Amino acid sequence: MKRLARNLFYQGKNLLGEKALIFWGIIYPLIMALFFHTAFSGIMNIELESIAIGIDKDNPVRYILEEIEIIDVHVLKDVEAKEKLEDEDIGGYIDGDLKLLVKKSGINQTVIKEILDQIKQMEKLGLPMERFDFSANYIEDKNQRADTIIIIFYSLIAMVSTYGLFSGIETVSLMQANLSNVGKRLNATPLKKKDFLLAGIIVSLSINMLSNAILLIFIKHFLKLKLFTGLLYSGILIILGNLFGVGLGILIGASSKRNANAKTILGIFITLVLSFLSGMMSTDIKIMLDKRLPLVGKVNPISIITNNLYKINLLGNTKNAIGGMTILGIYCLMLIFLSYGFLRGKTYDSI
Amino acid sequence: MVVKVSNLVKRYKEKIALDHFNMELEEGEILGLLGPNGCGKTTVINCILSLLNFDEGEIEIFGEKMTPNSYDIKRQIGIVPQEVAVFENLTVKENIDYFCGLYVEDRSLRKQYVEEAIDFVGLGDYRKFCPRKLSGGLRRRLNIACGIAHRPKLIFLDEPTVAVDAQSRNFILDGIKRLNEEGSSIIYTTHYLEEAETLCKRIIIMDNGKNLVSGSNEELKAMISTSEKIVVKFLEPGTIGDKMKEIPHVVDIERNGEDYIIKFENGFNNMANLLEFIKDNNLTYTKFYSQIPSLNDVFLQLTGKGLRD
Repeated sequence: MKRLARNLFYQGKNLLGEKALIFWGIIYPLIMALFFHTAFSGIMNIELESIAIGIDKDNPVRYILEEIEIIDVHVLKDVEAKEKLEDEDIGGYIDGDLKLLVKKSGINQTVIKEILDQIKQMEKLGLPMERFDFSANYIEDKNQRADTIIIIFYSLIAMVSTYGLFSGIETVSLMQANLSNVGKRLNATPLKKKDFLLAGIIVSLSINMLSNAILLIFIKHFLKLKLFTGLLYSGILIILGNLFGVGLGILIGASSKRNANAKTILGIFITLVLSFLSGMMSTDIKIMLDKRLPLVGKVNPISIITNNLYKINLLGNTKNAIGGMTILGIYCLMLIFLSYGFLRGKTYDSI
Repeated sequence: MVVKVSNLVKRYKEKIALDHFNMELEEGEILGLLGPNGCGKTTVINCILSLLNFDEGEIEIFGEKMTPNSYDIKRQIGIVPQEVAVFENLTVKENIDYFCGLYVEDRSLRKQYVEEAIDFVGLGDYRKFCPRKLSGGLRRRLNIACGIAHRPKLIFLDEPTVAVDAQSRNFILDGIKRLNEEGSSIIYTTHYLEEAETLCKRIIIMDNGKNLVSGSNEELKAMISTSEKIVVKFLEPGTIGDKMKEIPHVVDIERNGEDYIIKFENGFNNMANLLEFIKDNNLTYTKFYSQIPSLNDVFLQLTGKGLRD
């Protein structure tokens, strides 16, 4: 325990002194948040508007939809609905088989689909519709600005939660004799690698979670955006994102002899690509992938965090959160086991 | 026997880095590994410390086989790597305390050792400085302090004076002598022959991964045919060179500008014989001095090249 405490103190102090790490972990996310806020501030000031849905007058879910505050129900026949869809007067049309017809993908279509899925599920379970308060679930906070740009912020938070990868890379670099001079010295001492690694993981997680907290405080109090309503699930997702990032960093660090800078660039590249696919640069990408390659969104860890943050906080939907957390947990375990495989070797072919 | 290395072979693909290398270190000894850059000195140390895999051979430290998990052996070892190996964002004192703490758990004893190590390397005024604020020489001193603070019985010093100013170099060399006097056995690698000559009780000369010869400074010099070189400059050089070959024990004569370098094999009275020759031939000299053979001469004779080639 004493040894762990010493390693935590000295490794923590050493990592906190790394200027590059502080920049990428703390300053860069703040710059990105400020940039997104400035770029999209006009769009973000749009208040939540109701969603127009077309439906046949005999459709059994009509009365449910009419009860939902954000839904504006238009009773239409098939032919009329197609025309209105074409003219974008309505966001979607629900046919007699409860299938959703849309002209384009977007946030409104996502909300309609979520509601429709909920109705279908309750029907299957034989639950009375009155027991579900759709209004409360989809507009939990009337001040919440429900627009597509929010996804970008969730995606940014998801990306930043994985930035523990930088300290993961640094920790591995320090403990490997073929990667650093300190590693060479440490490997000649009675230090056990697992002690150093455990301390490195704890320190990396702590530092990155601190930097996440700084970003969230900045978004809430400086940018005046309220992104979180479901704190428990959101917190767990962000912590898992941190663990994933540290694990990824350790794997990148342990799996090759390239220098720490090259590995950091690789780490940034991986997280940027994953964030891009999760909709950070453009929500159209996310919507297109959700439509054509839904598996990408289901396996991309940043998409898992982004989607779930969005569903939990914007739609009040936590039903997929546990699944997402499980996948992230599996990723973390896989990364740690793979890294252990690389780190287990104690002698080197060359230094 | 503190360290015993038998028939060590290390290959990097086709290249042989260590070729059946043998070495022994007795208790209380400073053993010098001397050889040009790339001859395999650091590779020997890395293999002994179980940092590097090797292809053949055996390594024993304190009579036990050395493996990566030999934590009991590692507790008695100190290492000063060739490159400065410290945490850049910890202070001098914190660095020494961290590395010392890997061996010494008792806090008060560690505190005492850390302070002694700081005094030992003369970094008392810099204890709160981070390494990047220190000069090259001071960084080297810190590197040494981190390796010796826990008072190891066996210390590996891998070229600790490379790129160090004269003041720090002397400080480091004096410190190494003191460590040895206090009971540590030391393996010291260098390509500076003067350091090996003044510091080491026994020297191994290496080249191309091989142990060429080993022995004390005097023993090594006695191995070569040239025991003395005398440099003379005459006012009237002419064809005197050929005539000097008649002087007893002369084995070779070289010209370096106007200087004659006269090489003698083992024998006595070489200077007296040469002075008599000068007198007999009515010659006038403007320069006359004797050079005793150096380890570079030993290396030159063994390999046909100088240590710094």
